[in-house]
Amino acid sequence: MRRGIARFDKGEIRAEDLRGLEREVVDSVLREQNDAGIDLVTDGQISWYDSQSHLAGRLASVEIDGLVRYFDTNTYYRQPVVRGAVAWKEPILLDEWRFAQSRSKAPVKAVLTGPVTLASLALDKHYRTKKALALDLAAALAEEVGALVRAGASHVQIDEPILTRHPDDLSLVSETLERIRAQKGNSSLILFTFFGDVAKIFTDLLEVPVDVLGLDLVQGSATWSALAKHGATKPLVLGLVDARNTKEEDPAAVAEKVLELKGSVDLRASYLSPSNGLEFLPRDRARKKLRILRAAAKQVGVGG
Amino acid sequence: MSALLTTSVGSFPKPEYLSRARTKASKAALSREGLRELEEKATAEWIRFQEEIGIDILVDGEQYRGDMATYFAENIEGTEISGLVRSYGNRYYKKPIIVDELRLRGPISVDWFKFAQSQTDRPVKGMITGPYTMMDWSFDEYYGSRADACLAFAKLLHQEAVALEAAGAKVVQVDEPALSTRFDELPLLVKAVGVVTKGIEAKTVLHTCYGNYNEIFEYFNKLPVDQIDLEMSNSGLDLLDRFRREPLKKEIAFGVVDVHSHVIEPEALIRERIEKALAIFPPPQLFIDPDCGLKTRSVEEAKAKLRNMVAATRATRQAHGWT
Repeated sequence: MRRGIARFDKGEIRAEDLRGLEREVVDSVLREQNDAGIDLVTDGQISWYDSQSHLAGRLASVEIDGLVRYFDTNTYYRQPVVRGAVAWKEPILLDEWRFAQSRSKAPVKAVLTGPVTLASLALDKHYRTKKALALDLAAALAEEVGALVRAGASHVQIDEPILTRHPDDLSLVSETLERIRAQKGNSSLILFTFFGDVAKIFTDLLEVPVDVLGLDLVQGSATWSALAKHGATKPLVLGLVDARNTKEEDPAAVAEKVLELKGSVDLRASYLSPSNGLEFLPRDRARKKLRILRAAAKQVGVGG
Repeated sequence: MSALLTTSVGSFPKPEYLSRARTKASKAALSREGLRELEEKATAEWIRFQEEIGIDILVDGEQYRGDMATYFAENIEGTEISGLVRSYGNRYYKKPIIVDELRLRGPISVDWFKFAQSQTDRPVKGMITGPYTMMDWSFDEYYGSRADACLAFAKLLHQEAVALEAAGAKVVQVDEPALSTRFDELPLLVKAVGVVTKGIEAKTVLHTCYGNYNEIFEYFNKLPVDQIDLEMSNSGLDLLDRFRREPLKKEIAFGVVDVHSHVIEPEALIRERIEKALAIFPPPQLFIDPDCGLKTRSVEEAKAKLRNMVAATRATRQAHGWT
């Protein structure tokens, strides 16, 4: 696929050809997850250039500009520049999701970067405040969520890594999620925070209007004590397998950690997951992490 | 007066014949010696090009390197190299994995520095991938602590800096593109770079790029180097106002061309950027270079950008009567 993109950039193959290659890779990513026994899978965001421009670039009044470092990773995103009132124009992820679901036995989770993270990482040349931009982005993403749910998506995940850097954005995240929730229908709405901890806002975070809460418990290991102390009133996605380091976890140790939450978290309705997306690992190591995840989940009896 | 000296950040694109040769070498269809010969040819060509267009402080162009962290790790015991991971878009690289205590086998880049310097009378920079970036861009299966891994790299890279200086390097650059990765770790970066540059009498430079400079601004004057080298064009020269309010007490190498754009910035635009920099920095403090290494551009694009950069600098010097 890398060669395909390079050839596409040089004008040697057509957009349809590249789309075909992307779908072959999505197919193999889904096979890997199905083979590893993962209960809730994703399309691996194979066609995404990055977490910001893939979504924001298809909204009205957004242009895509230069490279900016993505949080504390050694990866970069093309920065969205907001020139006017943002609005949803057409489905963005729908075709990708439909294709992935058609190739997967397990439900495919639709994953969207959250409006507050998008607003925080964009360059705003139109709105005066982050809040105004985030609320319009939320309205736009709600349309997308509605389209995905109508097409059959049973799980929708909103990624808000910005909460690990700016916990004071929690009330804004909550407000934006209200807008998205209005379009979620019967699907399960998940909020995932990663790249750090949410210890200081943990109890308030449990109140946000979503069905499931996802936590990075590796880089955000500081959240663990709050979680152990307060438990959780919602099912969780427990990000206990390090998605940013190749070191392999012992599945038994991961399982043991999860079982510490028995009685304070509904483990039957919860999931075990990598601490964030697996794109930061080489592919062979990512596959190993999936197997560790499944082995640990099996020992605990939760989804993975 | 010596004003507005021009330089480059480090990497240049590899000519087609070298890219093909590297692919062949990776499949064992070309010997190490055969590859080395072509790497030397490409290095000599880039040195000649820099001399021809009139750059003042040269770089070797890193024709012998794949990725900047991986190249150093390959020459340090205690590391393995991973499969490919994405940097951005369709750019991928292989990351080091620390699997044991880090130990230096011997000088890493000194041999290439000597070769490049032998091709020219102008100063060539010695180039070191910094300890914080080496740590941040490596997976760690051994130390279990970012600070321990970073300081272990720093001790080894100090030996490299000493060896470069002993080999004649008048300028030693420490590349820390990961500098703005975690603001809470900036004291660690300052400490680690200090370990590398301790006792070095050559001019020391720290290059960084693509970060939130406003968050790290207060650390610029704390960095234990003589010069900081910043990407300024990609970020629209946003930082100039801050430098006006809070003066930099070091030299600055000021990026005037965007290395991630195919667009060849016209000479007039680059002159405009230099003039904006001159409104803040006195000429002897100001060095002119591209935002970052040019390796992601084509050879033609990189050469065109450098030509315009030098022409714009020359025109600015003439306009101010500094020739």
